[in-house]
Amino acid sequence: MKTILEVKNLCKTYIINKRQNNVLKNVNFTITDGEMVAVMGPSGSGKSTLLYTVSGMDKITAGDVYFQEKNIAKLSAKELAGIRLDEMGFVFQQMYMLKNLSVLDNIILPACQSKRNTASRKEKVQFGQDLMRKLGIIEIADNDINEVSGGQLQRACICRSMVNHPKIIFADEPTGALNRTSSEEVMEELAKINKEGTTVMLVTHDIKVAAKCTRVLYIVDGNIKGEYNLNRYNSLAELRERERSLNNWLMEMGW
Amino acid sequence: MYLQILKKDLRRKKTMNMILLIFIILAATFIACSANNMLSVTTALDSFFEKAEVPDYWFCTTGKKEVEKYEHLAKENQYDFCQQEFIQIDPKNVKVNPGKREGREFQYSKSVCMSQLKDSTKLFDKNDKVIEEVKKGEIYLTADLFRNSPDHFKIGDEITITNGGKTRTFHIKGGMKDAMFGSSMLGMTKFLVSGEDYRYFNDENVSKFYSVMTYTEDGKFLERFNKLELNLFFSVNRSGLQTIYIMDMVTAAVMLVVSICLILISMVILRFTINFTMSEEFREIGVMKAIGICNPKIRGLYITKYFAVSVVGGITGFFLSIPFGKLLLQNLSQNIILPDSSNYFINLVCAFSVVVIVLLFCYFCTGKIKRFSPIDAIRNGENGERYSRKGIIHLNKSRFPAVLFLACNDILSNIRRFAAMLVIFTLGILLIIIPINTINTLKSDKLLSWFSMAESDHVISVEQLFDTNCNNRAFVEDTLEEVKGKLSDKGIKADVFQEIMFRTNISYKGKRMSSLSTQGAGGVTTDMYTYLEGSAPQNNNEVGISHIVSDTVGAKIGDTVTIRNGETERQYMVTAIYQTMNNMGEGIRFYQGEDLDYTYAAGSFGIQVKYTDNPDKKELEERKEMLKDFFPDDKVFTPGEYIGYMIGGDVVTKIQDIKHLILAVILCINTLVTVLMVKSFLTKEKGEIAMLKALGFQNSSLVVWQALRIGLILFFATILAALLSTPLSQVSIGPVFRIMGAQNITFEIIPLEVYVLYPVIVLCVTVLAGAMTATQIRKISASEASRGE
Repeated sequence: MKTILEVKNLCKTYIINKRQNNVLKNVNFTITDGEMVAVMGPSGSGKSTLLYTVSGMDKITAGDVYFQEKNIAKLSAKELAGIRLDEMGFVFQQMYMLKNLSVLDNIILPACQSKRNTASRKEKVQFGQDLMRKLGIIEIADNDINEVSGGQLQRACICRSMVNHPKIIFADEPTGALNRTSSEEVMEELAKINKEGTTVMLVTHDIKVAAKCTRVLYIVDGNIKGEYNLNRYNSLAELRERERSLNNWLMEMGW
Repeated sequence: MYLQILKKDLRRKKTMNMILLIFIILAATFIACSANNMLSVTTALDSFFEKAEVPDYWFCTTGKKEVEKYEHLAKENQYDFCQQEFIQIDPKNVKVNPGKREGREFQYSKSVCMSQLKDSTKLFDKNDKVIEEVKKGEIYLTADLFRNSPDHFKIGDEITITNGGKTRTFHIKGGMKDAMFGSSMLGMTKFLVSGEDYRYFNDENVSKFYSVMTYTEDGKFLERFNKLELNLFFSVNRSGLQTIYIMDMVTAAVMLVVSICLILISMVILRFTINFTMSEEFREIGVMKAIGICNPKIRGLYITKYFAVSVVGGITGFFLSIPFGKLLLQNLSQNIILPDSSNYFINLVCAFSVVVIVLLFCYFCTGKIKRFSPIDAIRNGENGERYSRKGIIHLNKSRFPAVLFLACNDILSNIRRFAAMLVIFTLGILLIIIPINTINTLKSDKLLSWFSMAESDHVISVEQLFDTNCNNRAFVEDTLEEVKGKLSDKGIKADVFQEIMFRTNISYKGKRMSSLSTQGAGGVTTDMYTYLEGSAPQNNNEVGISHIVSDTVGAKIGDTVTIRNGETERQYMVTAIYQTMNNMGEGIRFYQGEDLDYTYAAGSFGIQVKYTDNPDKKELEERKEMLKDFFPDDKVFTPGEYIGYMIGGDVVTKIQDIKHLILAVILCINTLVTVLMVKSFLTKEKGEIAMLKALGFQNSSLVVWQALRIGLILFFATILAALLSTPLSQVSIGPVFRIMGAQNITFEIIPLEVYVLYPVIVLCVTVLAGAMTATQIRKISASEASRGE
């Protein structure tokens, strides 16, 4: 399989009140095309920072991050924005959407901004509606964002992340603000998207969410302490088994 | 604890608190200086007339017999009056700095008179001190002439006057503020010399006129005075004299409009800022309520904070208002004495009012605290806004690019948020459009008809000063023939004509008045003038009358009036009503064939030339130069230039100066408002901006989004201002023209200048300010999308 993301000696340092805080220390890992990777770790271990630096949303202090063989550490802000728009998708814990737009308008917004997406406005709207239909939220297309539930909104955020046919989706605790039912629905959708070929990298605290992934990276104090491969389980049907084995591994890691 | 929260709040929300402080300073400055200026401007003429001891009635006549007739009436009715003698001087006999390198002809071609201090009203120097003495060899010029003449007079310059075969050289002592002769609208300027110098020139051979000033409150004075049917070339009552200063009041009116707009802008800014900053506090209010702090204490905390900020802003605004007010007033007329504006009590009251207004706004805004439950405040009111409805336009149905759509949608879905900006920008554009319309109207050729002159291509400033002893008719006819002959020699066909003014008295059904009349001499017919109603006089016994004359004597079209010209009294039928700004709206137009007694001709306008071969613009320019060569001692104008010259060319310059000042002030206000508002928006929309960045929107796209919103608001403001400009011009400046006698006013609007050029200048500067401020978007990281709004 082809490598989509390669991280080499990634360091991230914040300076707060003249004090240096090394959040990421020489992090190395790779993600291959079609994988679904979860990043787990205790609070403050650098999970979200890792996600934002490898996705080009935050500046890298040192090291290299190759996305499709392009070193994003060397790219300008403009080039990074272009990659985020056309080749990456993002899902946040809080369901951020523009308050003045309807759900459908929020979803197609990145498509309308993209120059690489050459489809007509009509086709973009059609694709947005198809995505909503697929994720079971077509009935809220014209709704205001304060008229829908958190689960529906998060699925709408997933639709938005998919609208420009990204190579990879980054999700920062996508189920963190949802109840169990909504959380399971959202994860099922992400798993489906992954099955259809889109790589997913997500940060989570939830073993049930991580168990749906193909691989889990465990990060402590800015270092990848270990990784656990769930590929040996062929289907999600063996979810309980996956959760148990992952739990055991995490216990070994000090979770 | 209380103080701790306050200190931390001031430090933590530095940007918003600074924005609030700056806006309070702005509001206090504008309100304080505008209120003071408004008071100065509206009371200026009354206070000036009071100080100068201006009479209740004033008339001028060249006939000593007329004065004697009046003396009889005045003594009979015990009217308090005084008379002053003036020597008339031909401006061509005045030389400036003769014999010196910078020596030149006197650049003034209207009437000039000379007088002494004896029997004069009070005259003031440039420091508003009463002129008590003029020494031999010294001369004072009217302030308007001293300051605005193309001669660029300086104190100490020499002026040589030759009159009646006598010559004397004077040293200019300065400009004087003269309530009677101070306005350029009077069409006459005055030299003030010492009694000895005056006596030197005064002998039987020189042309003189007499000014008679009466102080009376007798209601029957006018009736008795009109019955005398004196031959006067000028008569006016005190309120009429005020209207002579109307052009100075045009600038004052513009200043008033500016002041009112600035106050409105300040109020809008204050309301917006307080609402905006208060809405930022809602989440904290929720938290405080949740931990059990009671409502009055929370309210008290914010009121204390706003009190501190508003006191600092109010004091700073008070001090800034003093120089800013002076800056605005310095362009106002220097012909009159403004009431003492160094009394800054008004500024202080206004600055204090701003503090009170801020606290009241704050008090009412914090009233919401009571209505919200803690969780409401935390959840819904984190920005104080409730989202009751989504945008009214849809991206999925629109063809707009995403960024343009976002800008439009933001405005349409939250109009209240941008309303403050819209109001400020609209007022700003209006402030620019109204003076420009006024200037263009004053400069336009259409004013020629408002001065009851026929259309022409050029005007030569050969205004006649008629002598009662000469054959005036032959003199006029010869002069016109001479001009026509010179043009004809060059192969140019043209009608050459001149407006001659006569001293007449008109009566109708017992009502009478004295009014200047006009008759076209040379190649002009009555149908070449513009009338409001009726048709041009076609026979010798027909006249047109101005609507002021019509209103005064009560004569309408079809009525027969009696008009006395010298010793002759005839009946005339009124065939037309017209408007004129000449002689404050009073006028009678005779048919060109009517035989009027030129002995009673009072004067004339310039010689008008109307080419009959339709020359193009370039040819007209060449012919203007040619006329200048023919008449090197006179000035040659286009009709628009001539009107500017008649009403005092400096008025246009003055308004033009004010226009530039207003443009600068508006650009500064717009820039400041835009910078502060965009900064506020960035603070508030940080989360959305971070999210859009995370989605892949480039910094440049986001800057364009922010700038487009400003641009669109300004665009709507321009449309709104364009729609409002005509009615508001009529309301604010129209009365000034109406006082002068123009009833039917259509403002000269140059669309390219008014609706394109200036709005584009404002748009460019404002949008640039918005875009520059919005570049701070670069500092917002995409990863901040994860940290909450």
